[in-house]
Amino acid sequence: MPMRLLHAVVRTIRNSRRLATGLVILAAMILVALFSPLIIKLIGGGTNPIEVAAYEKWLVPSADHLLGTDQFGRDVFAMVIKALSVSLQIGAIAGLISTVVGVIVAFVAGYKGGWIDGILSTFTGILLVIPTFPLLIALSAYAKNVTLFQVGVMISIFAWPFAAKTIRSQVLSLRTRPYVDLARVTKARDMEIIVTELLPNLLPFIGVGFASSALGAIFGLVGLEVIGLGPGGVIDLGQIIYNAITTGALTLGAWPMFVVPIALLTLLFAALNMVNIGLEEVYNPRLRGVAGE
Amino acid sequence: MTAEAPPVVTVDKSQDSAPPSGVRAWLSRHPLAAYAIRRFGLYLVELWGALTIAFFFFRLMPGDPVRTLIQTLQQNYIYNAQASAELIARYRTEFGLDGNLFVQYVKYMEKLVLHGDMGPSLINYPTPAQTVILRSLPWTIGLLGISAVLAWIFGVVIGAIAGWRRGKLGSTITTNLAIALAHVPFFFVALILVYVFAYTLGMLPARSAYDSSIAPGITPEFIGSVLKYGLLPALSIVVIGTFGWILSTRMLMVPILGEDYLVYAEAKGLKGSRILTRYALRNCYLPQITAFGISLGFIFNGNVLVEQLFNYPGLGTTLVTAIQQLDFNTILGVTNIAIFSVLTAVLLLDLLLPLLDPRVKYWK
Repeated sequence: MPMRLLHAVVRTIRNSRRLATGLVILAAMILVALFSPLIIKLIGGGTNPIEVAAYEKWLVPSADHLLGTDQFGRDVFAMVIKALSVSLQIGAIAGLISTVVGVIVAFVAGYKGGWIDGILSTFTGILLVIPTFPLLIALSAYAKNVTLFQVGVMISIFAWPFAAKTIRSQVLSLRTRPYVDLARVTKARDMEIIVTELLPNLLPFIGVGFASSALGAIFGLVGLEVIGLGPGGVIDLGQIIYNAITTGALTLGAWPMFVVPIALLTLLFAALNMVNIGLEEVYNPRLRGVAGE
Repeated sequence: MTAEAPPVVTVDKSQDSAPPSGVRAWLSRHPLAAYAIRRFGLYLVELWGALTIAFFFFRLMPGDPVRTLIQTLQQNYIYNAQASAELIARYRTEFGLDGNLFVQYVKYMEKLVLHGDMGPSLINYPTPAQTVILRSLPWTIGLLGISAVLAWIFGVVIGAIAGWRRGKLGSTITTNLAIALAHVPFFFVALILVYVFAYTLGMLPARSAYDSSIAPGITPEFIGSVLKYGLLPALSIVVIGTFGWILSTRMLMVPILGEDYLVYAEAKGLKGSRILTRYALRNCYLPQITAFGISLGFIFNGNVLVEQLFNYPGLGTTLVTAIQQLDFNTILGVTNIAIFSVLTAVLLLDLLLPLLDPRVKYWK
């Protein structure tokens, strides 16, 4: 069974150049994040490059400091590497929580139908349509000194509707398929049908749900941070952009401080979006037949 | 604000009072009216739900606005005396913080719905929150409204062409660019634009909405100044927004291209441009109208950050200022106005759609 799943995954990736590109970029970023302690040590060469006053303040980019130093004399390149791994962790935590919540909501709503579906779908719809940023800001009032995990939980409160919406529409279309009816007439229990018949067919869309929730979560957190309401103690890419704005990097011309985090986040968003669209193109037959590059 | 209290009931009542069969028959003879009534009922439920979520969300936030107000007053007037219990009680009543949470909720909704009253603001005490908000509303509607519509028009047109000419080099580049940039925050583009055009080249202003040396009014100088100051913030929303619409329009366009009626149109010998505009485009811009309404809330989120960066005097900046001073009434007021505007826009677009889409008679 695991081998079969692996084969299916490899086949899917081979079928879509877009999906493959997105996954390669993501994998590269995850690798950098995994080795970030090592990379930071290499940059420091004995000293801790992200300690306050490790070097001189506001150094311009050079061979020693690829991206220069900030107002406290910290190496910007090392800070960016560290922040990237924090951003990825938050995206993964929030994406995972949102996907689990989204899958549960989608299954209960889509499979049960009726008034339960009505209530859950209306609620999901409201959260998707209204501007949720002010609500996220309200939550940030609690987040003065929180752990990375708590930030992930906080952000996923607004990221799960993305996953729920995608998956629910698929559950709706799948539950009327003949093989589900067949399982039902053989008196399979609801749970059994969901786990053995529906879930495997939904995996790609759960992937889409995860990618879009992770994207939404990082997006939301960066938003909070650039207006100075980010959770204290968590230094991710958004926080570095905020530091750049408040310390006057814009007027001083210290462009690496905000251009590099922006470029990295843009690349991350692009990779997640490629995974989304790649998966959809592979599994949506209407798009598959005629979709060109 | 319009009335929005337990509204579905009203719809049901009007049906009950008349003989049910008569109403049913009338509704089945007027499917469009039935659709409109259903849609309006859903709108009222959504509005009530969203306003309720927002209220409880903000009331559960830590912090005491009355203490903040008294501290501000003491700082401003170098007034050191302790606030008396009566004074605190008076302020509590004024800010609607009397009684338990449910009582507060009922009172707030009553004032909001019946009088459009959002309570006094803190950032501009004692000016009511709604006055503060109404002052900043036109700026946001102008900036966000115009940019969102422009992005939609550009995106749908370019996206349709990209789908139509799929496989060609230009289309491939556009599509991949759109995939890469569709989900970038407006704020990123705004930051880069400010750095290049305002700080490095010094061509355009980086802050505010108009030149403060020009008196506001309907004069050519003032309008020119507003346009000049609005260019960078608007551009950041339009650029990213356009990419988003390109992507979704292309994904709607591609499946349509295989349809029989397009093959038939081609077999008839119609010109490609005519098939694109009269046959294919019509099928993708209609769903995109609904999508436009749904995207407005998202655009508002992004707009908050853009306004804050440019210090643009709109709702977003008001919201952030209010949050920094724990001004509950203004924060909630801005949120409610945004919710109301977005949901109303979605409703209007949904009601407009049947007039544009001949297939609506099949709708339930």
